[in-house]
Amino acid sequence: MKLLVCIKQVPDMESKFRIDADGVWYDRGDLAWRMNEYDEYAVEQAVRQKEQAGGDVTVLCIGSDQVKETMKKALAMGCDRGVHIADSHSYMKDPYQIAAMIAEFARDKGFDIIFTGMQSQDRGSGQVGVMLAELLDMAAITTIVDYTYDNGSVVVQRELEGGVKAKVKAALPVLVTCQLGLNTPRYPTLPNIMKAKKKELLTIEAKMLQSTDSMQKTVKMALPEKRVGGLFLEGEPDSIADRLIAILKEKTSVLA
Amino acid sequence: MAEISIRPDNNYQLKGNTIMNFQLTEEQNLIREMVRSFAETEVAPTADERDESEKFDRDLMFGRLGELGLTGIVFPEEYGGAGADYLSYAIAVEELSRVCASTGVTLSAHLSLGSNPIYLFGSEEQKKKFLTPLATGEAMGAFGLTEPSAGSDAGGTKTYAVLDGDEWILNGSKIFITNAGEADIYVVFARTDKNAEKHHGISAFIVEKGTPGFSFGKKEKKMGIRSSPTLELVFENCRIPKGNLLGEEGKGFKVAMKTLDGGRIGIASQALGIAQGALDATKKYVTDREQFNKPLTAFQGVQFQLADMATQVEAARLLVYNAAYRASAGLSYSQESAMAKLFASETAMKVTTQAVQLHGGYGYTREFPVERMMRDAKITEIYEGTSEIQRVVIGSNMMR
Repeated sequence: MKLLVCIKQVPDMESKFRIDADGVWYDRGDLAWRMNEYDEYAVEQAVRQKEQAGGDVTVLCIGSDQVKETMKKALAMGCDRGVHIADSHSYMKDPYQIAAMIAEFARDKGFDIIFTGMQSQDRGSGQVGVMLAELLDMAAITTIVDYTYDNGSVVVQRELEGGVKAKVKAALPVLVTCQLGLNTPRYPTLPNIMKAKKKELLTIEAKMLQSTDSMQKTVKMALPEKRVGGLFLEGEPDSIADRLIAILKEKTSVLA
Repeated sequence: MAEISIRPDNNYQLKGNTIMNFQLTEEQNLIREMVRSFAETEVAPTADERDESEKFDRDLMFGRLGELGLTGIVFPEEYGGAGADYLSYAIAVEELSRVCASTGVTLSAHLSLGSNPIYLFGSEEQKKKFLTPLATGEAMGAFGLTEPSAGSDAGGTKTYAVLDGDEWILNGSKIFITNAGEADIYVVFARTDKNAEKHHGISAFIVEKGTPGFSFGKKEKKMGIRSSPTLELVFENCRIPKGNLLGEEGKGFKVAMKTLDGGRIGIASQALGIAQGALDATKKYVTDREQFNKPLTAFQGVQFQLADMATQVEAARLLVYNAAYRASAGLSYSQESAMAKLFASETAMKVTTQAVQLHGGYGYTREFPVERMMRDAKITEIYEGTSEIQRVVIGSNMMR
């Protein structure tokens, strides 16, 4: 079985973000980089699929040379080979352009199951997976929180609003986008980290792939305005209670 | 992760073609990420409770380390190790100690002290029999050198061994042994020639737990690293196979000193981790805590203290990583590891004390981890060579 897992390298979410000089993205200097959290669930599920039914897992990542470190983590977690699409401007591309690049690579490879995160932690469009499935003419099942494979079909649970879950079945080939709660990603063990550097990691220059025009662009990006600090009431309990009731009546409807 | 200030782009091109490279490799970065994630998720939540109850949790503090491949980081794959370098080992001990110094020293004592002498001085047969289970984490290691009257002065060893046919018979005791009671394999030093001068008549032996005549004495009640067990080893006519002599007979002092050179990197890394953990906790606290209607970080006096703490931690890191790098590169590192251990342990003490001060009254309580960190830091100035002994090593190397 041929399995593909698509990952993205994103900043550590504990980083301090600044808006870049153009005002359309965050400043990429001085950040620590990680695998997108949802992609870790995708990698884990792809490796589990291989462990259950056999196969070969390719991990794909788009970006500058720096993304190779994140790809090594996926290889250390159990992916068999890596495909790096070298593109130092991928962060400027829209979801369709990203999906089109992956589709062009994947089209004639005959992947049976494709795993992606449900969204990236930085761009957050949630579109790349579904667009990729569309471009490859396969079913896409999004935001999965449970996954089983049996005899040529996958059966997953999708998470819906209000805690409702839907059970969905699809025959291969299929693409799934992975949500928090699907699994607990394994730690890449130390021997596997050391072995990862011996695994195949093929680099394809993005310019060798057919270019597509963007269909959308970010016009402006801004940090949220600083919230006004809370109101502290001080004094005797009786007086605080009276003032609190007055404020609640005036500014909210809870006591109306 | 953002707290670690050895930056990914630290790569200086010096005059000529010499490159001084401060850049960690992809593998080293991944090892840090993995160990930090494990430490924060699994080790940190019980660190305070284990400290309070003096509980050693073997599954967590050793078993899980084995599963992750940390128990044999630096040993070749043929002996069950991961084939990584000393810097990766230093990073692993640092990251464990950042949240729990007891877990950090468990790995350091197991790997640097219990396993490394077998790797360095063992016969092929000894490596297969003892090093392989140690590296895979099936067996835990410990090291017995210190005696009641032979601490810094290891030449004063009184435990003795006599050869009787195919067996050595050991008699004596060892104190303050980290991992004792829990460990399965012990590297122990005993005098084999009573007539030889101090350092010459000592030999190293491998003793397995469960050997008749080998028992454990009292468990120490300690100020810090309280979830790491420290016990006495007692040998009463303990017979071990002749083949368990480690290295040459009478050359045990060299085994001990060479082992301690490496051990210093482990303890220096532990001290570095404690200091980093205290710095991280303090940065968070002073950011959240308000006094006089301002966060503490708004006071320049607080910022200056943080600046000094961060600078000392970074200086310690460079010394520790340099010593570890030299060990990996096959360069001499006795001097560098002594300097790293001296500076990192004194930094740990200073930074944790400052961390408690910046936490104010809360820092003195067990509600915040800096109280534990300050108690844990003290031992790093004492064990595996006191700060004074490190100065002796550094000074005597300079006078050579």
